[in-house]
Amino acid sequence: MTFDPGRPLSGVRVADLTMIWAGPYAAKILADLGADVIKIESPRAWDNIRTLIPPPVAPGERWWNTNFYFHEYSRNKKSLSLDLASDSGRSVFAQLLPHCDVVIENYRTDVMDNLGLSYEWLREQREDIIVVGMAGFGKTGPEKDAVGYGPIIEMMSGMTSTSGYGDDGVPYKSGISYGDPIAGIAASAAVSTALIQRQRTGQGQYIDLAQREVMSTLLGEFYMDWSMNRRLPEHMGTGHDWMAPHNVYRCAGADDGDYDGDEWIAICVGSDAEWAGLKRAMGSPDWAERDAFSDQILRWEHRAELDERVSSWTSGHSKTDIFAALHAERVPSSPVWKMLEMMHEPHLKARGFYEPLRHPEVGIWQVHGWLWRADGAGPCVVAPAPDFGAHNEEILGGLLGLSRAEQDALAAEGVIADRPADTPPASEFPATPSLL
Amino acid sequence: MSSTDHSPLDASRPYDGVRVLELAEGISGPYAGRWLAALGADVIKVERTSGDPSRAFGPWPNDQPDDETSGLFLYLNGDKRSVTLNLDTSDGREILRELAQSAEIVIESFPPGYLAERGLDYAALSADHSSLVMISITPFGQTGPNADLPATELTLYAASGQMWLTGHPDRQPLKNGGSQPSYQAGLNAFSAVSSAYFGAVMHGQGSYIDLSVQETYAGMAEAYHTRASQLGIESQRSGNNLHATWGLYELADGYGGVCLLPRNYPPFAQAVGLPELQEDRFADAGQRLLNNDELMAILYGWFIGQSRDDLLELGIANRVPFGFVATFEDLANSEHLRSRDFLADRDDAAAGNLVYPGRLWLSSAHDWKMGAAPKLGQHNVDVIHGELGYEREDLVRLRELDAI
Repeated sequence: MTFDPGRPLSGVRVADLTMIWAGPYAAKILADLGADVIKIESPRAWDNIRTLIPPPVAPGERWWNTNFYFHEYSRNKKSLSLDLASDSGRSVFAQLLPHCDVVIENYRTDVMDNLGLSYEWLREQREDIIVVGMAGFGKTGPEKDAVGYGPIIEMMSGMTSTSGYGDDGVPYKSGISYGDPIAGIAASAAVSTALIQRQRTGQGQYIDLAQREVMSTLLGEFYMDWSMNRRLPEHMGTGHDWMAPHNVYRCAGADDGDYDGDEWIAICVGSDAEWAGLKRAMGSPDWAERDAFSDQILRWEHRAELDERVSSWTSGHSKTDIFAALHAERVPSSPVWKMLEMMHEPHLKARGFYEPLRHPEVGIWQVHGWLWRADGAGPCVVAPAPDFGAHNEEILGGLLGLSRAEQDALAAEGVIADRPADTPPASEFPATPSLL
Repeated sequence: MSSTDHSPLDASRPYDGVRVLELAEGISGPYAGRWLAALGADVIKVERTSGDPSRAFGPWPNDQPDDETSGLFLYLNGDKRSVTLNLDTSDGREILRELAQSAEIVIESFPPGYLAERGLDYAALSADHSSLVMISITPFGQTGPNADLPATELTLYAASGQMWLTGHPDRQPLKNGGSQPSYQAGLNAFSAVSSAYFGAVMHGQGSYIDLSVQETYAGMAEAYHTRASQLGIESQRSGNNLHATWGLYELADGYGGVCLLPRNYPPFAQAVGLPELQEDRFADAGQRLLNNDELMAILYGWFIGQSRDDLLELGIANRVPFGFVATFEDLANSEHLRSRDFLADRDDAAAGNLVYPGRLWLSSAHDWKMGAAPKLGQHNVDVIHGELGYEREDLVRLRELDAI
């Protein structure tokens, strides 16, 4: 087999029991890296991400296959419907496990054991299996039964305590559910690490990955400041402890020159050379030559006035024009890109970061491709999210050798299905205002 | 050394015997190297002769700057060996080439082109070493119009789309605390090199990876991004509350909050115990959004009466996603985290008693080293003399030439 540098996990099969975000993000990374990821959902208890944020447009007849949120995590994966809470579903899972290298789940701490899918049982089916559990707070300890999604993880990790405008004492959460993807990335690293160890020792392992703990490893210097000085972080807003200017500044509207009030650019000056560059970009105004701005320390001391001055310059120009001028002067800066702008951002576009995703019932849209780019790798996105149960026949018939009659019996029992059970028609789909 | 030479059962830690060359400064590359070292790799940190600039970043004990007690440096560089090399000298470059031949993984964070100009890029280092895995970590990647643009945490936060979404809708966009762009890139880099190294173990074939901090961070915009690209809808900053049951509230003794999926609402309403929460106007997710302001007002009044500890306990007892804004004092003293050996407690000779995250996960097959970070050039003699076979006199000469 030719080695594809983009897909070092080819040949690795993953039984993916994850739901919502943190786990599916991990499994997405594994699938992008070439692993054969089988997303397993019960017809009765399917991944809620399929309906969590209904689109504001008619969702289509088979809405459970078309949701944009579901698609974000499910490209390059396969779909097997299987009710693991039933005896026959568990029996099929037991037949599948010898073909799997990895089982990954992000259920509440007790769910796997309640389903009779303990590590011991999984090992009985395949002795060197690698199992990754991603409970929010881990599988042990006095808080093991605490539950939480990304923002709870972020709060409990210390992250939220570091963020805020600084003038009101209010801590702020990140704009995304930051705890989820962070845990997902770590879980993907855990899988590769365990595969390496298995290759060397012949042994599988159980990995207890607490989402809160992973998030907390991104905050080392704050732990150190507490250890060393018993000091807790100050909210810095968009400021910095020695750079100035260092802020986001309002710009004029980008497209038509109209001032629309929510156009911003981040500008940071960390040296005299960068300050000289900023001055040239601003047209060398007289005020910038004042002694008050002549070195880094003075600029920091006069940062409030500096911010006002820079702001009055930026407010007369579009963020893209300002960025072009600062780019030419090599001053660290970036427009605050909006979501609709991201896929047209020239640098990401030049690098091919976004790739088209095609789905027969949805059409074509842009999704991010490689998170990192191995030299010689082809496109990242090779398949859209699979339809519900799309690979039942391939896996049950092809891989496990179940006869047509056996598969029909499972379907009759409701253990497998080609659509979620009890689904309302699209016309009755709840008209829910957007959650975003 | 080839990675396939390791006999079975010699790896009580996954990366035992694997050599990593870390040509990376600051946060991203050292963060990835830190976990490889903790899991057994021999991480040789190659520092410029003046040291990794993060040695000059605080915090320091009593705020006294000192190259050997930077809290950031100590956190990110435990269990590594430090060798100084000046890559602007031919001797420095030659030693680096020799080290790279003995390494399975190279992590570098120089500006694009820096190593190529010195004959040290992947093409050169892998010419006789095809199983080498190498990753370059830079703000914007190796190619594209912004590749050479200098960056800060703030500009990367803006460039990734994260900033547009963070902060109060009526105020300016906000950055989250610390150095998240760099840290998350380091975590991605750890995943990237571990999967690439697995590929090298299985196929004898290495790879070169270009990691852009902007891209790994942009990859997290998830539903917000695809909502724009599939549905053409822009998203707005939502401050601390996406809606009433997804966000932060003030508590009696700090801040905390709740994040509910629709299925979590019934146990939540039960746990809170206010009869209003059972009314028809809050009966389903759609109703709750239509009556969001009323629901928020009710919850504001309830949360302000709760303490942080009580809220967490209520969540545990009822399986409701409650949490509080933990401080680093809370975390350093957390009985839960201590019971899981999450925290490294180390009495550092120079920096005193330190408490910091000591691992990423718990495994049934390996533990994590939580050792000290090296002094600048502490292992020059061990590595350059002891392993590469340079004579001690050579070391003196190299020092005089400013090569080490």
